[in-house]
Amino acid sequence: MESVAIRIGGANGDGIDSAGLMLASIFKKMGYNIFAFRGYQSVIRGGVVWYQVRISNEKLYSYGNEIDLLIAFSQEAVQQSIELVKENGVLIYDSNIGNVATKQGIKLMPIPLTELAIKAGGSIYRNTISIGIACKILGLSGDAAKEVLSSRFKNKPDVLESNLKAFELGYNAVEPLLKAPQPGKGAKYLLNGNNALALGAYAAGCKFYAAYPMTPASGIMEWFANHEELGVFFKQTEDEIAAINMTIGAASAGVRAMCGTSGGGFSLMVEALGLAGMIEAPIVVVDSQRTGPSTGLPTKTEQGDLLFVMHASQGDFPRIVIAPRSIEECFYIGANAFNLAEKYQCPVIILLDLFLSEHIESVDIDPSKVSIDRGKIQKEPVKDFKRYQITDDGISPRSLPGTKGLAFVAASDEHDEYGNLISDVLVGLPEYAELRKKMHEKRLRKLETMLKNNDVEMPMVLNENADIFIVTFGSSTESSIEAISLLKERGINAGLIAFSYLYPMKSEEVKKLLSGKRLVDVECNATGQLAKLIAMNTGIIIKDKVLRYDGEAITSKEIADGVEKYFKGV
Amino acid sequence: MLTQQDYRSNIKPIFCPGCGDYGVLAALTKAMADLQLDPDNTVLVSGIGCSSSIPHDLKVYGIHGIHGRLLPIAEGVKFANKNLTVIGAGGDGDGYGIGLNHLIHAIRRNVDITYIVMNNEIYGLTTGQASPTSILGHKTKTSPYGVIERPVNPIALALAAGATYVARGFSGDPNHLAMLIEDGIKHKGFALIDVLSPCVSFNTLNTYDWFRKRVYKLEDAGHDPSNFEKAMQKAIEFDLDNNKMPIGLFYKKDLATYEDLDVAEKKGAIVDEPFPSKEDIAKVLEENA
Repeated sequence: MESVAIRIGGANGDGIDSAGLMLASIFKKMGYNIFAFRGYQSVIRGGVVWYQVRISNEKLYSYGNEIDLLIAFSQEAVQQSIELVKENGVLIYDSNIGNVATKQGIKLMPIPLTELAIKAGGSIYRNTISIGIACKILGLSGDAAKEVLSSRFKNKPDVLESNLKAFELGYNAVEPLLKAPQPGKGAKYLLNGNNALALGAYAAGCKFYAAYPMTPASGIMEWFANHEELGVFFKQTEDEIAAINMTIGAASAGVRAMCGTSGGGFSLMVEALGLAGMIEAPIVVVDSQRTGPSTGLPTKTEQGDLLFVMHASQGDFPRIVIAPRSIEECFYIGANAFNLAEKYQCPVIILLDLFLSEHIESVDIDPSKVSIDRGKIQKEPVKDFKRYQITDDGISPRSLPGTKGLAFVAASDEHDEYGNLISDVLVGLPEYAELRKKMHEKRLRKLETMLKNNDVEMPMVLNENADIFIVTFGSSTESSIEAISLLKERGINAGLIAFSYLYPMKSEEVKKLLSGKRLVDVECNATGQLAKLIAMNTGIIIKDKVLRYDGEAITSKEIADGVEKYFKGV
Repeated sequence: MLTQQDYRSNIKPIFCPGCGDYGVLAALTKAMADLQLDPDNTVLVSGIGCSSSIPHDLKVYGIHGIHGRLLPIAEGVKFANKNLTVIGAGGDGDGYGIGLNHLIHAIRRNVDITYIVMNNEIYGLTTGQASPTSILGHKTKTSPYGVIERPVNPIALALAAGATYVARGFSGDPNHLAMLIEDGIKHKGFALIDVLSPCVSFNTLNTYDWFRKRVYKLEDAGHDPSNFEKAMQKAIEFDLDNNKMPIGLFYKKDLATYEDLDVAEKKGAIVDEPFPSKEDIAKVLEENA
């Protein structure tokens, strides 16, 4: 596959992020497919940050293992990324940083970036100068860039003028050196996982989002904060405990409701998660994972919350856990989660992570694929209404406040079919011990129903006749797909088994799928949590593991190297 | 025409004989009947504790939630459907201990909820530990040498946080309490009604008699509930002289509610908003094209 990867590196406050985002928009406008990601830190100024944009006319599955063009504003930015520049690649750096360490086979180009930026209106314009440089080095026209800049700064004529000037200065400072692939018909939308998820939720009629700021989930709350005019209520709360409890209140009142956070905030939500399980409130909870434990690495990624969210809160209660494998799936799962929550009247947990929440891809989205199923809602008055009726499928009719004649109490204590408590004066009496069992079984039966209804998707399988299979889930899927191509180049016939629906699991079918295959577990955590989950459900133990837990997303090269090692038995 | 009894379910309250919470139940149903509240459009949200069992005693929609979280649950209900009458009811441990953070934020939002706190100055359901409102020197199971932390003053706290309706009732005077609850429900905005509600089983210090000796009505003392400074003086009266406990309306002010100001709420009740059409979705997606 032909592709080019460009990285801009500098300090926090240099406008690296906005340069990267604009580059992504410019290339998309030209007709490229985009995969972009940033490395950043938990500081507002200083440090070292980067933004990498990879382009191709084919679908991309990673931001690239290597860099074709590196533009660096500082010595630190050179040092951080120089090893990733490929042979015959180009390093452009601000000439005011002096001599830089380099490596063999790459072309070095000092350019007076700061000097040029000051000509355009100030040193901050180094970022737009870099956009001009990138376009020209790749031999691309400047038209798309000018359009993107004009649209972005349309309300600030002075800023626009300086940006256009900066772009020209950059564009004229270099000559074409690298060959960009031919543009094709790129995908339509440029989205990160957080925005895709918020859009999916909106498409499914989610009208309530509550959250407390926490990286990397904050993007979801910012989306909702900026779309309240659509009639979608958004509340920034005093803490995550309030966020989930408000969500439970809103869902109980009949609104499709969601809250989101990262692992630390999810820890605070745990008690109320059980409340949703007990009163059968249909809520959606997003955990965008970051590197733990505790505060961990707040700006880095990990898939370390899988077993935590699976087991969080006391006692047994039904829940559904899904980890989207791509930006597209963030949209579709973000929508379907509400159907599952309302159909099975239980919490649905969506597992994202920093990499999936924050990386950007060009994607196609088809809103007509979104369907709505609100489950059993009782609207007509009935005699002897039993909100928690014991049914064969475990699902009872819900009534919403405001509906005539169907009032009931939703109680966190164990209750009978009407919602009346059996936890105080009745507890311990033999018939109520029996009733407690029946109510508990009723709730748990909903998951069996979900499995029977085929609402649990089996893992995606690629290359089913492969000699060795990567087993993975969620955000590690795309780099695993790319790893299969790398392994093919190395003469290894590898396949993929990638989970998105993680709980409940179709244990027997998954067991059948995995049996007799050579498997390598690939995850971004230190203990192989997916492998443990699979062992728990199927008895199959995957010994060979490729795990990354330094805070970065696992790359296709690492996966390919790991699988190759196991395949060759070295 | 619904009577007080029409709001009662057939559940027997779990309260001990003589519990102050019977007075609250009577006052609440009286207020509901006086206002002719539609039971199907009323949601009573509670936390955990003896007093939080109260939704089961009524024939309205109820959520009997988890300890300390009744306010965010109630806010969620109200934000989702602002046409509902939403009432919160719980104890002092629930509201002034584990859930105190939520009280301050609910107040500053001025969400249109009436919050009744049955304040017995003890943890009753867990059989007699000191509560956040247990007074200095009170000897309980967990303060055998007497309480050495100054009690939470919910009235002063609510005033300082900017509450728009602050009242205190006494369950020994249910008619007076009913009037405060009725007013609180009618008030557009957040209403805190602290209720001195004796625990006859585990609080042998703050008994009906103990309260009766100290309470007096603010309206009888000519208090002006529109005067914030005077309200604050009355709020701290017991802290300065523990022989005086004013009850009645401390403070009331008309101010826009959260639901009045929120952009999404301006279109109407959120629950009534139609789901987006395919065209609506495409249009929002287009922002990312």
